[in-house]
Amino acid sequence: MTVEVVAPDRGGVDLEQALQDLRRAPTHQPFSQGIVDFCSEFSSVLLRETEALRFPELRVLGFHTRRAAVTELQHHFEALASRDCVLVPRGLVFHIPPANVDTIFLYSWLLAALTGNRNVIRISSRQSPQTSLLLRIFGEVTRSGVGDEVRSTTLILRYGHEREVTAAISAVADVRVIWGGDGTVNDIRSIPVPPHTRDVTFPDRYSMALIKASEYLALDSLQRAEIAGHFFNDTYWFDQAGCSSPRLLVWLGGAEACAQGAQLFIAELDAQIKARRYQLPTGAYLDKLTFACGAVMDGGVIGYEARGNELCVLSLRSLQVLRRDHCGAGLLFQCATERLDDLAEIIERRDQTLTHFGFTTEELFQFAHALNGRGIDRMVPIGKALEFHRYWDGFDLLQEMTRRVHICGR
Amino acid sequence: MTFEELLHLPAFSLDQPHKQAILLEQLKALTEWHRARCQAYQRLVDLIWPRSAESPAEVPYLPVGLFKSHRLVSVPDDQIAVTLMSSGTTGQRVSRIFLDRITAQRQTLALGHSMSHLLGRQRLPMVLVETRSLMKDRSQFSARGAGVLGMMNFGREHFWALDEDMRLDTEGLRRFLIRYGNAPFLLFGFTFMVWQYLYKPIERLGLDLTNGILVHSGGWKKLQDEAVDNAEFKRRLFDATGVRRVFSFYGMVEQVGSVFLEGEDGYLYTSNFSDVIVRDPLTWREAPAGRPGVLQVVSALPLSYPGHSILTEDLGVLHGIDDSPSGRRGKYFSVLGRVPSAELRGCSDTHAYGSNA
Repeated sequence: MTVEVVAPDRGGVDLEQALQDLRRAPTHQPFSQGIVDFCSEFSSVLLRETEALRFPELRVLGFHTRRAAVTELQHHFEALASRDCVLVPRGLVFHIPPANVDTIFLYSWLLAALTGNRNVIRISSRQSPQTSLLLRIFGEVTRSGVGDEVRSTTLILRYGHEREVTAAISAVADVRVIWGGDGTVNDIRSIPVPPHTRDVTFPDRYSMALIKASEYLALDSLQRAEIAGHFFNDTYWFDQAGCSSPRLLVWLGGAEACAQGAQLFIAELDAQIKARRYQLPTGAYLDKLTFACGAVMDGGVIGYEARGNELCVLSLRSLQVLRRDHCGAGLLFQCATERLDDLAEIIERRDQTLTHFGFTTEELFQFAHALNGRGIDRMVPIGKALEFHRYWDGFDLLQEMTRRVHICGR
Repeated sequence: MTFEELLHLPAFSLDQPHKQAILLEQLKALTEWHRARCQAYQRLVDLIWPRSAESPAEVPYLPVGLFKSHRLVSVPDDQIAVTLMSSGTTGQRVSRIFLDRITAQRQTLALGHSMSHLLGRQRLPMVLVETRSLMKDRSQFSARGAGVLGMMNFGREHFWALDEDMRLDTEGLRRFLIRYGNAPFLLFGFTFMVWQYLYKPIERLGLDLTNGILVHSGGWKKLQDEAVDNAEFKRRLFDATGVRRVFSFYGMVEQVGSVFLEGEDGYLYTSNFSDVIVRDPLTWREAPAGRPGVLQVVSALPLSYPGHSILTEDLGVLHGIDDSPSGRRGKYFSVLGRVPSAELRGCSDTHAYGSNA
């Protein structure tokens, strides 16, 4: 079976042969010099590239692959070890990233590669300028002086949805990392893997923002603009279709304070949208309008506010009427509540990221304890919703990519 | 002015100020009518359009996609006589439009009113570029079926030109032409079907359709690959068959009956019962003549479902108002195609893994 390789080299290869070569390649210790140097070089090349600087998500990726960031990850990794265990790579990791978020495949690869695994990445046939750019730079660095280790241990393939290709790779995988939502997870899961293989899955998720009205109202206009800018990044970088982009905005406080805060917030967010010249294609706007009108028709919506094509805010009568289907493209459900318990009550397993403003760390810990696993995998300040971390969707990816060899000397 | 009075005015005779006044009155009444009978519609209007409209452009409009996601109906279920469904490929959601007898009747009368302007009052022998099997179920109709059924009223001696496999019955067509081809006769079909299943098979047969009046609808999307637009369509048909009178109309299953009919100049004209509003896709205000925008269509007909004012997903451009040399009054415009569909980014793959993306 011939498949298209897009990195390290371009061209067609025989899949069986390529997988065999990959498995025969010498293994490397976690955080080996070779992989750390590769990441550092990749970061420098990416951050020097003027074309890449146009895309904020690529700048962030460049930041996360810097030597300092990688060293920090290494410290975290070392902290995972214990006196009677050695952490070793799981083996071959098969990454199936989503078609539409251009940087995830590299984050997914990063944690697996740093921990010493060999990698096969499936890239979809649809390709954005960001992905093309990343693949070009990745290929270049593998051909440079620091590329040897990655050259022999990473294979990036481009193919459609051919099951036989996915099946052949799955048959030799030790871990499958499956992104792309419920549909993709279910489809890939139906393709068999060896009995020991683990699937790390990223199904459809829902995310929300939480603001304490009193704290927000205490901000000056500069600070409010900053929050709005952060919120813009969380929401609009991936057209609000990222799983950690907020779709619900919850105001905590008295009715009047919440209303006042909401009014200021919408004006600030609108100003950010305009300042950054974010524009929605007409087709996406019409889909959003249809969804918004439908939500109003279904009941439970008591406020409708549209600012241009890009922002539409629907106020809910109560959190109880929240629906989790969504159109993306800049539609926010909004609700005010006096008690955090009201929010806790509606949280479910699908809920992933809670971006917050105005809360102390203690309050957030308390909230997590109160939820006690019902939902929410991460709480991060507004502005960090899309920031990649070793902890994702409730997994510690550093841990997921390694096995523990337990050693008892006597 | 009542619907019945509108029927008595000559088609395409209303100048815009007069028409706006009549339509405003009709549309406002319809908004109230549906508010009182369709709770979903009432919620939407009360929240988003609380102010009373002072021109047809201020009347609340529904994005056409709502007829796919929601069951919008303003009569009790036992009064639904016919359900119309839009065409759509497998897996796509389709619009469902619920008609009671009175709405269906208004549609028929309105369509007849516009068509008689073109065809005269007499029913003409008629060729349907369609297959008879389309008409099997009379309680549920596809958009195609509804269109054919509506147009059949204007003909007699109907000849169904296609078999179930879309093959042209050439011999049957020859016999029809021997019998009726020396006097005016009517042909109707969907634009793509006329092209693919009538024009192509007879392109070189030398059949004489000089006395035919061809009415067609459905848009040019499928013909884009072959670079066939309205002018090319007419030219090639004329070259092959001699047919001169070829008219398209713009209409949709969500507003059957109040169609926009093409004039001899190739522009689309509004009926007495309908109007078009071209909206700027950024401000959503009315776009001036010459500037393309998204089409909104309003119709005085729908009583059984709240579809009297609909924002379409079509792009169009207004050419003028009340100043057409053809003598028809009101707005005249062209349809430019569909708003390109959105492909947003995101974590969840929009295409199922099992399908081919």
